[in-house]
Amino acid sequence: MTNINVGRPENHRRDLVIVVVLLILSWSLAGLDSSQALGLTRLLRGSVLKPFLAADATYERRAALAARAARLETERDQLYIRLQGATGLERENRELRAQLSLPERQPGSFVVAELVPGRPAIGDSHSFLLRSLALAEVQVPTGISVPEGLVGVLRSISGGTGLGEFWTHPDFRASVRSATGGATGIVRAYVADDGETLMLVEGVPYQARMAEGAILETAGLGGVFPGGIRVGTVLRESASRSGWSHSYLVAPAVQPGAVRAVTAWNRASMEAGSLSPDSSTVPSVSAGQEEVSVDGP
Amino acid sequence: MTGPRRGWSADAVVVVTLVILHFTLYRFFGRWPAMPNLLIGGLLLAALRMRAGYAAFVGFGLGVLEAAMGMEGLGTLSIVLTLVGYLGARSRDLLFADARHYVFIYLFVGTWIAEVALILAMPGVPNLLGALVLAPVSSLGTAVMCGAGESVAATLRRP
Repeated sequence: MTNINVGRPENHRRDLVIVVVLLILSWSLAGLDSSQALGLTRLLRGSVLKPFLAADATYERRAALAARAARLETERDQLYIRLQGATGLERENRELRAQLSLPERQPGSFVVAELVPGRPAIGDSHSFLLRSLALAEVQVPTGISVPEGLVGVLRSISGGTGLGEFWTHPDFRASVRSATGGATGIVRAYVADDGETLMLVEGVPYQARMAEGAILETAGLGGVFPGGIRVGTVLRESASRSGWSHSYLVAPAVQPGAVRAVTAWNRASMEAGSLSPDSSTVPSVSAGQEEVSVDGP
Repeated sequence: MTGPRRGWSADAVVVVTLVILHFTLYRFFGRWPAMPNLLIGGLLLAALRMRAGYAAFVGFGLGVLEAAMGMEGLGTLSIVLTLVGYLGARSRDLLFADARHYVFIYLFVGTWIAEVALILAMPGVPNLLGALVLAPVSSLGTAVMCGAGESVAATLRRP
């Protein structure tokens, strides 16, 4: 048996110094805020990792093309049916608001973007990249959603790329209310005993109750998420109760893994008119600021 | 080509191939929970032939690249892989020979420890199932694949 030959004799002290320096450097990388981390990630993804990402994208496109075409066809048909119904509803809503002397509803504008989920080799993905040229107009942090419900939050933007976190991220919090408006709370990710990732609504006032099956939506407080975006459905009251408040387990409306096309809320257009994010009784803004309205009338 | 240089080239080719394979098959490997981790395997093989400081530097670089690819855990991955590189290089003193089965055990144990460290250090609730069941399976696959790579390098090293 031969000893492993490593060339020149080792200098343990120098190696130790190198490791300590590298660990300090790593520690400072861990402390980078999301915009600085995005800069470094973009630099590496645009240079060293570019060939691998290009191969990855090609593979994904080919694998998903057939399934995507069929799904798009189904979605188009469903949208057509919904549009048929929504047109009449919108007109009816406008007429009723006019009769009540209410101004036009202005839910803010949304930017459509492509979502690229993070894929850590170990652990679950909690982060994503967003790609859209229109992202430059969006103010962060802001809510990311799909028609089915809330996806996460966009933390930083650089050019046409943004870095965000899914609702499964340990730092994610959003204020929610029951669709009837009877109870409010703060929602966060919660990993159940069987490993399934659910949501947990905390801080629901003691006197308020959330019924099993109740639909939760964003409350719009704080201006990060627009009001009225579906978050999930109440499963049951959680065993953990803190003081004079209830907690409830919630089945999420959206599982982040399957999402590719999303909308980012552009509250800049609302702030231009000093508007409350979820207010339905807001003064109308200029027509140029309204691009895509996803909320129903 | 001289003997030692030829040995180095063979090792470098195997390690670089493993790293390239890891990033090329990233999505494929990410589809199943217990796939071989060629990045850690490649780093451990590199650490066998490098000085500890250089191995730590390689680990740091690979950690940053891995974090950029997965968009998660920039600091965590660089810390863990720096330590894997350094400790891998230092632990070769324990392997008194480069006999095939010692390298296999080194790869298996090293990958397992690295994966458990990553599972515990990454954000979110630690996945105990992953640490106790999936990580050993992944480590076994890594040891087999990277051990095969080491055998190829050994064949090329032979004068």
